[in-house]
Amino acid sequence: MESSLEFSSSLTSSTLPPPRTRIFKIIVIGDSGVGKTCLTYRFCAGKFPDKTEATIGVDFREKVIEIDGEKIKVQLWDTAGQERFRKSMVQHYYRNVHAVVFVYDVTSAASFRSLPAWIEECRQHALGHEVPRILVGNKCDLRHAAQVSTEVAQQFADAHSMPLFETSAKSPQGGSNDSDHVEAIFMTVAHKLKSQKPLMLSQPANTVTLRGRDQEEEEQRGSWGCGCWRS
Amino acid sequence: MNLKKSRNIRSSSSCLDGIGRQDGESKRKRKMAEITQALNATPVNVATLRRMAISEGGLITDEIRCKVWPRLLNVPVENIPEKLDEVNRENDKDYNQVLLDVQRSLRRFPPGMPDEQRMGLQEELIDIILRVLQNNPQLHYYQGYHDIVVTFLLVLGERLATALVEKLSTHHLRDFMDPTMDNTKHILNYLMPIIERVNPEVYECMQQAEVGTIFALSWLITWFGHVLSDFRHVVRLYDFFLACHPLMPIYFAAVIVLYREEEVLECECDMAMMHHLLSQIPQDLPYETLISRAGDLFVQFPPSELAKGVTQECTQQTAASTFTDFGLASAQQRPDTVLRHRRREQQQQQKNGNAVDPQRGTVAVFRPGARRLVRLAVMGITVALGAAALAVVNSALEWAPKLDLQFL
Ligand SMILES: Nc1nc2c(ncn2[C@@H]2O[C@H](COP(=O)(O)OP(=O)(O)OP(=O)(O)O)[C@@H](O)[C@H]2O)c(=O)[nH]1
Ligand SMILES: [Mg+2]
Repeated sequence: MESSLEFSSSLTSSTLPPPRTRIFKIIVIGDSGVGKTCLTYRFCAGKFPDKTEATIGVDFREKVIEIDGEKIKVQLWDTAGQERFRKSMVQHYYRNVHAVVFVYDVTSAASFRSLPAWIEECRQHALGHEVPRILVGNKCDLRHAAQVSTEVAQQFADAHSMPLFETSAKSPQGGSNDSDHVEAIFMTVAHKLKSQKPLMLSQPANTVTLRGRDQEEEEQRGSWGCGCWRS
Repeated sequence: MNLKKSRNIRSSSSCLDGIGRQDGESKRKRKMAEITQALNATPVNVATLRRMAISEGGLITDEIRCKVWPRLLNVPVENIPEKLDEVNRENDKDYNQVLLDVQRSLRRFPPGMPDEQRMGLQEELIDIILRVLQNNPQLHYYQGYHDIVVTFLLVLGERLATALVEKLSTHHLRDFMDPTMDNTKHILNYLMPIIERVNPEVYECMQQAEVGTIFALSWLITWFGHVLSDFRHVVRLYDFFLACHPLMPIYFAAVIVLYREEEVLECECDMAMMHHLLSQIPQDLPYETLISRAGDLFVQFPPSELAKGVTQECTQQTAASTFTDFGLASAQQRPDTVLRHRRREQQQQQKNGNAVDPQRGTVAVFRPGARRLVRLAVMGITVALGAAALAVVNSALEWAPKLDLQFL
């Protein structure tokens, strides 16, 4: 991974944020090979990496974004997918996480079947339903090889009160507009975190109560509508 | 893919490793002669080979590595079967993960290599890994293992690499290949105490940022193969690690952090920033200096605290053969075992009310049998080339008590 390059460019291209910039810390989890590194790289560097390597432990990427004139640092913790790293290794990085992104690979039924284990993993690290969570089905460019249907994934997402996004880290330019869908997904999470207010998604289904993590937002409540955004 | 082709992948490029050009050339020649002599001695002078592997420039060429690495691991080359075991890829529990990791390992191959050749080597890489795992069901694959195996493959070719990787996996890497990573984590816990002893300020800074030690995880379990882009540096480090105590990579990790003292102290006191800073290894590190520093640290702060006097006494010894007992020593040589043993030893001493040296915390008690083995292990390494070579002496001391317990 060219993470050093990508990191420095994201630092230099955006002026260093003032000291009190808010930081949104998002952890990205899911089986090995689902594309966590590619997705986080795509968001931070704006392109699909030409070579990725297995993530050993935890990689960190960040990007400074602007929402309503406020500069916000989005920190993505890209974790190792192999099961043996989960228990003792990655623990440390679950602390103070603001949001969780679960990733599966639409061409791998196994990666989808692992999701309950990942959800359990989160629960064990005391990340409950108050922490916004989203489900991302990656590699949608390989539609022909898809093993996980949107319907099944949507049911699962609904059952766990998460919005579902199907996308591709490789060619996320989908739909009618040509904006970057991967970026849109992370921006959605960032917006959610910033406002901690209801999110209007395309197909509202279940809602779930949220509690802001910041003290002053403690009383604000909002709901995290569920729906599916497809590329 | 024939072996011959893969064997010559990079031997020509590594000739100037670590040694400056002019007087470098004569130094290099002298060193090569010394290595040849040690290899031709009967029995092979493994102590000298260790010293050569540690000292400046390491083992110089891949051709030499092919001859010396097996000696450092005590693998009898003559006994390696000509024909490698068949690998059954179907129904292999690790195959999918290994395939995924090997497919993504493009960076480990020389940039100019034709795709076809690289793909052949990737197939061999998969086979070596699966073969070793299938022969040793107690070993569990971890992501990063492939980064180690690829180094052996590129240097040694498939047949030799298989034999050496198998030995390495049941010894140096054994802890990483447990069903869980608990022991690996335990070994990582050793990093901060080393840093603390050398530079309390850096230590304090890292503690305050709560950076943890995961930034060094890939360094440790891949012997830096995952993070260094120049293959010459990787093999140079492997020379060093193969000649030293299995905990040496953690000392080297500490040395890298300490080398970056200023950056660490200037870094924002924040877990993410610190993690990011530390996990990005600068590619222009002064490897030879760092290697000798790691050796120094090992000597100064050995994993288990054995009496200094013994070291001095032992360095008086000379002899022809040394680590012929490596095979024995390494039976108890899993890094985590060393640490556990050390704890037990300390507890034991506290229980026994042994005198505790306030400077060093513990005082070692040698039984005569252990002493003999220490001598056996240390013999021949007396003419230390520098502190780094001394590390070997200490490694030998580390192993001795285990031998004592197990074999005497
Ligand atoms: N076609 C396609 N391939 C993708 C996509 N995203 C990732 N890949 C490929 O899938 C493989 C795995 O991607 P990574 O991002 O390394 O996967 P990971 O989830 O980070 O895996 P670990 O680090 O092992 O946990 C790579 O070969 C990528 O090129 C995608 O959207 N489309
Ligand atoms: Mg990854």
